Amino acid sequence: MIKPELLAPAGDLERLKIALRYGADAVYIGGPSLNLRANAINFTIDEIKEGVDFAHKLGKKVYVTVNIILHNEELVKIDEYLKKLDQIKVDAIIVSDPVIIKEALEKTSLEVHLSTQTSTLNIEACKFWKDMGVKRIVLGRECTKEEIKEIKDNVDIELETFIHGAMCAGYSGRCVMSNFFTNRDANRGGCSQICRWDFNLLDENFNNIKGDMPFTFCSKDLSMLRYIPEMIDMNISSFKIEGRMRSIYYIATVVSIYRKVIDEYCNNKKSYEYNILYENELRRCANRDSVPQFFNGVYNEEASYYNGRIEVSNQDFLGIVIDYDKSTKIATIEQRNYFKKGDIVEIFGPNHETIEYKIDKILDEDGNIIDIVRHPKQIIKLEICRNIEKYDMIRKKY
Amino acid sequence: MSKILTMPKDMNEILDTKEIVDGFIIGIKNLSINVNMCIENLELLNDIKDKDIFISLNKNMHNNDLKKIKDILIELNNYNIKGVMFYDMAVLNIYKSLNLNYDLVWAMEHAVTNYMTINFYNDLGINYAYLSSDITENEIINIEKHSKSKLIVNMFGYLPMFASKRHIVKNYLNYFNLKDKSKINYIENEGNIYPIIDNNLGTVCLSCNILNGIKSYLNLDVEYIVLNSFNIDLDKFIEVIKLFKSVNKNNIEEYNKKINNSFKNIDTGFLNKETIYKVKKND
Repeated sequence: MIKPELLAPAGDLERLKIALRYGADAVYIGGPSLNLRANAINFTIDEIKEGVDFAHKLGKKVYVTVNIILHNEELVKIDEYLKKLDQIKVDAIIVSDPVIIKEALEKTSLEVHLSTQTSTLNIEACKFWKDMGVKRIVLGRECTKEEIKEIKDNVDIELETFIHGAMCAGYSGRCVMSNFFTNRDANRGGCSQICRWDFNLLDENFNNIKGDMPFTFCSKDLSMLRYIPEMIDMNISSFKIEGRMRSIYYIATVVSIYRKVIDEYCNNKKSYEYNILYENELRRCANRDSVPQFFNGVYNEEASYYNGRIEVSNQDFLGIVIDYDKSTKIATIEQRNYFKKGDIVEIFGPNHETIEYKIDKILDEDGNIIDIVRHPKQIIKLEICRNIEKYDMIRKKY
Repeated sequence: MSKILTMPKDMNEILDTKEIVDGFIIGIKNLSINVNMCIENLELLNDIKDKDIFISLNKNMHNNDLKKIKDILIELNNYNIKGVMFYDMAVLNIYKSLNLNYDLVWAMEHAVTNYMTINFYNDLGINYAYLSSDITENEIINIEKHSKSKLIVNMFGYLPMFASKRHIVKNYLNYFNLKDKSKINYIENEGNIYPIIDNNLGTVCLSCNILNGIKSYLNLDVEYIVLNSFNIDLDKFIEVIKLFKSVNKNNIEEYNKKINNSFKNIDTGFLNKETIYKVKKND
């Protein structure tokens, strides 16, 4: 049994550091160009370098997505960009266009991973990409577990599969609804998620077909928590969490839960038991339902999401510890959601069990006592007599 | 002038149009999407062997499709076809292992957008590229200049916009316990109507407008143009073919108007409209 890599998304340096601190083995990020999240903040070359240095000090890795579908105008940018990524020692690039693969393999020492954007779902396609020199394939999300096993048995290549996060309604690379509805190029980073819009559904005579909720393409999110042991036994090399635009709270929660499950199973396979509390924790930071999707071959109406575009905004995340003085036991907290004196909260972090804590006394930045923390990113201080750490997070207790 | 390919809906359409077109794009049952006619019995190809026939094997392939792909690629070698259009690299990989006398067409729907990638596939022996319909006329002209492959370009018809393994319509009907047996459904948004088809291979959705590229056509020098009859009356479609066949610099404005006046929902797609790549922060 090979312990799989836990691969997390990171939209910026803060999230990169959080993901790695909370247990990710590697992160994937978007650079200044040629990636599929053009409307994320994305990293400058200097920031990528800082992220790579940070990761390497921890013995971890950084992959950079270079996975747009190239148009003529982008062709001139490839060489120089790949060389820069190589110079700053990025561990791999995630690519969908074979021209970039060829350039990277011929002109740099970059390792190449094939993006899920190619919707690679079968043995022959995997053989093709392997022959091209690709080191790892991020399989299309439509693969069932039997198909993944068949590919693993027949092609000697690293496989990466998604384990958590949002799902495209269509085959990756084959949905350009964004182009048609908003003129934003889905395959060049402009996807405006038309699959989540509501539509009227009509029959062939243009009569309305109306359910209790509007028609949508939207699918539920993916969660493979329950199947992690099975996936480890399948020798999948890397487990990928979706969501480069997700918050630090989401990343910290999801990464730490999957970290625990992977470690618990790999450390003692025989005594491993599924922990429903982990599932509950994952639910707390999600705003949509999740299911295993195609893994079990089930992609019927139960995997679809009809909610009239109502998504609950998560307000569990109360603050992040930005400093902790062990001698005075004073924690400096940056607020993320409203909380007040008397609230019972939880403090969680990568290096200790979750701590329950009652807020008795709140000091503002100037040391004045306050009862309510209501301002976004407000800095406050709490006395916490347990050993907590910088980057721990405070959330509501249920 | 470029040669004209169409995607016929049935044998009747083939018979009614074979004298005025140069060839056809036809699918194979269970291996093709976004074509109007899928066949099982290849004998039919003998009836149109004097035409340029392209077989589209363009769905996303799974392991259980691989044997079927190999069998069909071998069987197609017995017929006089020009080429096989493919999306999934499985088709290319299997094709490479066989010694076949027809060409492959790189037809990766929304990915055929630049000349370097086209030339990459050309170096692998793939002589045709079926360009994405999401690129502009200028991009096509630029690809023409630098590409080693023969090019195929959509010039008329509804455009592919979405493909999924999911049964998006059926799931909705089932979830809300609704009954409908339409072969084609439509989705409506802000008055625009988009065809959506849910069948055994999943769901595809097409553009709300019909592409009319006749004005760009005169500026291009590609091997084939594709006119798609999906959801178009045959009589009107034949008129469109005839207009494309006889268009020239003198009659272009008149012909363009004729096509535009024949359909309520028609535009020039992305031929004159560049998509946004970078989304500005204040957008």
